[in-house]
Parts: sequence; C-alpha cells; structure tokens
Amino acid sequence: MPKVTIDGKEIEVAPGTSVIQAAEQAGVRVPRFCYHDDLPVDGNCRMCMVEIEKFPKLQIACGTPVTDGMVVKTQVTSEKAKEAQKNTLEFLLVNHPIDCPVCDQAGECYLQDQYMDNGLHDSRTVIEEKIAKRKVVDIGPIMLDAERCVVCSRCIRYEREVTKTNLLQFVNRGGSTQITTYQGGPITHEYAGNLVDVCPVGALLSKDFRFKMRVWFLKETDSICPGCSTGCNITIDHRDGEAYRIRPRRNVEVNKSWICDPGRDLYKIIGAGRVTTAHRAGGALVAPAELLDEVVSKLQAAGANSAFLASPRASNEDAYAFKKLAQATGGRLDFRVGNPQDKVNVRKDQILQREDRHPNTNGLLNLGLGVTGVDALLADCKAGKVQVLVLQDGGILRDSAVAEAAKQVPYVVAFATHQGPSLAAAHAVIPAAVWAETDGTFTNFDQRVQRFKRAFEAPGEAKPRWEIALELLTRLGKPINAATAADVFVEMAVETKAYADLTHRSLGPKGRPSAERAQAQASA
Amino acid sequence: MASSVIIVNRDTKPGYYPIFYGMWLTLRNMLETLFVKGRSATIEYPEQKRNISTRYRGVHLLTAREDGTPKCVACYMCATVCPAECIYIEAGERPEKKIEKYPTRFEIDLLRCVYCGFCVDACPEEAILMSRENDLVGTSRAELVIDRENLMHRGKLAEVGAGYRPVDHDVRRPVRIAALERLKSEHGIVPGMPGGRR
Repeated sequence: MPKVTIDGKEIEVAPGTSVIQAAEQAGVRVPRFCYHDDLPVDGNCRMCMVEIEKFPKLQIACGTPVTDGMVVKTQVTSEKAKEAQKNTLEFLLVNHPIDCPVCDQAGECYLQDQYMDNGLHDSRTVIEEKIAKRKVVDIGPIMLDAERCVVCSRCIRYEREVTKTNLLQFVNRGGSTQITTYQGGPITHEYAGNLVDVCPVGALLSKDFRFKMRVWFLKETDSICPGCSTGCNITIDHRDGEAYRIRPRRNVEVNKSWICDPGRDLYKIIGAGRVTTAHRAGGALVAPAELLDEVVSKLQAAGANSAFLASPRASNEDAYAFKKLAQATGGRLDFRVGNPQDKVNVRKDQILQREDRHPNTNGLLNLGLGVTGVDALLADCKAGKVQVLVLQDGGILRDSAVAEAAKQVPYVVAFATHQGPSLAAAHAVIPAAVWAETDGTFTNFDQRVQRFKRAFEAPGEAKPRWEIALELLTRLGKPINAATAADVFVEMAVETKAYADLTHRSLGPKGRPSAERAQAQASA
Repeated sequence: MASSVIIVNRDTKPGYYPIFYGMWLTLRNMLETLFVKGRSATIEYPEQKRNISTRYRGVHLLTAREDGTPKCVACYMCATVCPAECIYIEAGERPEKKIEKYPTRFEIDLLRCVYCGFCVDACPEEAILMSRENDLVGTSRAELVIDRENLMHRGKLAEVGAGYRPVDHDVRRPVRIAALERLKSEHGIVPGMPGGRR
C-alpha cells in the first residue's frame, strides 16, 4: 500500500489510485472538469494541476498514479498550483458566454464554483470577440448549448464507455471546437439524463427540468429509485413539498453515478393524481378514524375468511406491518401477481434496468410472504370464501385478474396512492404515502438493503402504509411497539433472519447486503 | 454612601412662570399655523403631495425592451435575495436564442414586501426598478399582488417618477447607462431629478 503525503497529511491508499482520488481521501478537492469518478481518465482540461516533489513541472492530478513516498502539494499549499489553476480557468472562460442568469446550471456549475474559489479575475476578453457557437439546440431529451461547453469530453466518454452508443463527438478545431450529435440527430437511448449530470457546465441541460426552478432553492433528500429491482441510489430535489427532479447518487456497488431516464421521470408520479382523502366506494368522504374503525370491525367479523394482498412496491417496513396485520386477523397473505421473483435478477438492458419493475420483491420474499401464490388466493375470492380483501396497493386493481376477483368480495379495502377508475371497486379507500413521503428500506435484486428518507409530508390525509397497518393493529388490540419506520425495522430485524444485526442507522447512506448475502459474499 | 451616588435636590420651587410660558407657546403655534403663510406643519393631501427623495423605494416597476417585452430574463436573483419572499416568478422560453428566457409570470405581493430595494440591487439586467409611488390602496389582498403586466405599466409612473435604482451614474457599466437613457426616452423619467408635478 503506497503512502502519500498530501498537503502535509500522510495517508495510505490502494495501489493504482490517482493523485486526485488520494487528495479526495485526504479531504482536499482538486478542481477538475474532465475527470469523473466513473469515467476513464482523459486529462484534457488541465485544471487539476498539482505540484509533486521531484517532478520538474506541475502534473495533472487525475492522470498521475500515486507512488510510495510521493509528496503532493495541491492548490491549498502550493502557490504554483493555484496560479496554474487560475490561468487554466481564465483560458476556459475566454469564449464562455455570460449566460449565468438564464443558464439552468447556475448554482451547480463547476465554472462558477471554481471562479468563486480561486478565479475572481477581471475578464480580459472583449465580449464581441467571443466565438459564437450553436445555442439552444434540441437533441431529444437534452438541450445543447455549444457556447457553454468547456470541451472536457466527459459526455463523449460517457457515450463511448457506458451506453456504448457514441452519439456525441467534437467537430472543428482550436477555439471553434464544439460538441455535436451525429447529423444533429437526437439522443435516443434511455440514459440521456446522465449526460446532463456528467456535464460540468451548462452545455447539456435537461429539457424536462428546463427553466422549472433555480437549483439553489432545492433541498436534497437521499432516496432509492422505486422503478425496478436494481434499486439505484438517487437524490430527490424538492421545494415546498414538491419534487422537481431526481438525480443519481453515487454508489459503486449498485449504480455507479448513473440512473435511467424512466427512473428520472418518477418524480412526476409523486404529485400527480394522488388520493388525499379517506373515502368509501363512489367517493363518499369519511373521517379516516371512522373508516379505520369500520375496517377493523369487518376484519374481526371475517377472521380467517379475510385475505391480504401485499405489494412489492411497499417498503420492508410496510410489508412487515402488513404481515403482522394478516397474522393478527388470521387471514391469508400473498403478494405475487405474475411472477416477479422470476424476473428480479433479469436484466432489461446491459446497464441498469431490470425486468422486475418493483423495487422490493426480494424484501417481501425475505419476509416469507407469498407461500401459496396469488392465484389460489384469487380463486378463493372468486369462490366467495373471502369476506374482506385488503390490498396494500390500490393500483393492483388495474390488473384484470385482481379486479375480477375483487368483484366477488363483499368488502374490499385499498391503501391507495393514486386515483384511477379501477379504484371504484374498493369499498374503503385509505390514502397512502408514496416512497418519497416516508422513511423505509428496499431490498434490491442483489439482497442489498438500502434506506430511503422522507423528503416531505404526504398530501392530505395520506399516511405511510406501515403507519396505517400499525393503526389497524392497535385497533385490533395487538399493537406493535413502534412509532417510526426505524422502530418497525428493529421489530422486523428481530424476527427476520435476513435483516439480523441491521438497523436504519447501520445501513448508512449506501446500504448493506442482507445478513445471508453478506455471509455468502464472505464465503465466496 | 458610595461616592457614585448623586443626590438630586428636589426641593425647588419653579413658580408659575413655566406654566404660562408653555401656554403661550401653544397659543403662538396655533395662531401661526392659522394665519402665517408657510408655517403650516400639514399639507392638503392628496391635492398636495410631499416632495419625495429620488431614491425613494416605492412600488416596483419592470422595464421593457425596445419591442415592448420585459427586460427580465427570469434569473430569479430578485426572488433569491428577497428577505420577505414576496416575488414569485415562472420562467418561459423566448424565441431569441441570445436571450432564451423570460418570465411568463412575475408577481410581487406588495403587502408582504418590505421595500428594502434588494431586488433592484440584485438584478443583472436593470429590469426591476422602484418608483416613487407610495399611496397604495386596494380593496382586497389579491388586488395588491401585482402581476407582470401591471408592473410593466404602472399607471402613476409618469406622475410620481422612478425611485430607487442601483448606483445612478456608473460609467463603468454601459448597459446601465443605456437602460437609464431608455427610461428617459420612453417614460420621460430623468434619474436624479424630481418627477411628477413638482
């Protein structure tokens, strides 16, 4: 393990680490444009200059691997490095337009940040002499502004290495170099949004987010994408209870720095068409407490003649509380419609997406749900053996098999997040929160337990599904000693082998493999 | 007794003189106000109005480009700096690629505004200024949340004149000078000079 001294601080790093990574580990961020943690090193922007002892000239930190005994001085301690970075920045700004007031990147722009950190020079360029390039070019889900580009080639390397589509390339030379797509065509793959995140400046901007909000107003909440069983780590950017966008959060074990565009679009479902009030069939409003009392009395009357249909969209906490509810009633419990467990590991493409479009199929399997299969449960419903059917996700009524079976059940309870015509089949609709509105955990395809945090309040009377289940359990006289999702997780960890020794806190921001998976990994 | 304590002698007898002097002062002021010209402390508002400073921070106004569209590029600087959070902006796309952005909605809640003038200082485009209009009347709260059109065509602007702007004559900023010249040619407002009737 080579030892390296960075700004007087000695640290030990893995062999093959570059100076820029070692500096990051020592707590120093060397400014950069072209270097990206998950892309191959190119070393073209010349921004990350550092002084290394015994090297006659300054070196680029991204392209220099550390060796044992190396002594590095970054811009923090080296005047030479600082001067070099300042001059590089001035060159990069020579042809940069003064667009900051209208540029969506403002606030998270490397040029702005680094100008404020170590530039602060007066411009020596005459505005009229700046080279004009193409502006506001529509390339599918992205807006291209070639004038703002710093020619770092991050997007080109992303297209080459990650999506392998090679849709972007440089044209022209020298100061006129600019980025373009082949024949000006659109970006067609499902990972275009990452180009926006990869771009350090405002050259590639999201068309969806365009002009919606200035980024400094947004608050960030760590979350997990609920779009498929991959469980990509994401950040939800929101303001005043409204989500504005989803960005990937780096997790080398799962999604690196990427997410797919369908996942990126999921912020739209948070606010649109939500169920906000407890109501009966036909939309007659009723106080939530009164409705819960009614559900409990029906459940008590039905006893073992009740059935519970869990949802793989629900978190582990939701599923556990729901399972307890089924056990307290004595009813049957299942969750599969189709066979999501068969698809949980099947890739949809070679990058991130998986065929199972539910985030928590493995979580429900770990809890021992789904023993008999939904088909048998639905057959019982059709045969009239079921008095009360509780659906953890009202959306499942869109499935024709479930809708058919529900018609034969005298009392259908649905925890519903979104409105829809199929919801009319439910006799009691209890508004439920979506994933962004509660704490919880998902277990992904790889048995990795990952935590998502609450970004904002659920709308209206909506509550997290675990909370609804807890309230029903309390009314049934079998309360669980839990006030938060973390408490529920603790209760669950005691009973469930897969989650032994895990708590919300110990999961950390990047999640951990379940107990069994960790064992398997250790033995392998 | 400690040396820092001062003993005040209250055993004084001022006599009747101060009482009569005070009464005379009151009477004199009353008579002067009634009969001596220019000594009145009040004016006949609203027929008469006070001469307000040219840097007065009254109701805001949005300036326009030559084609009549707002100069504002919806950069949200004013909304960001606003301590009262009274500015609401929604941005839209302009066909001109050099400008790109403009406000489709621009609303100021005048009841919430504290008239600090930070928005004027923050604006990079000289798009938001303040007028000297200060007699603000409305019959509902909603009426005093004024929108983009209202801000661009302040009815009383010619009467009361423009108020607070950032540094008036800054020769280093040709954009600003051009904006002030346009303000003069379009609205007849000369910065630094009293506008309106006086």
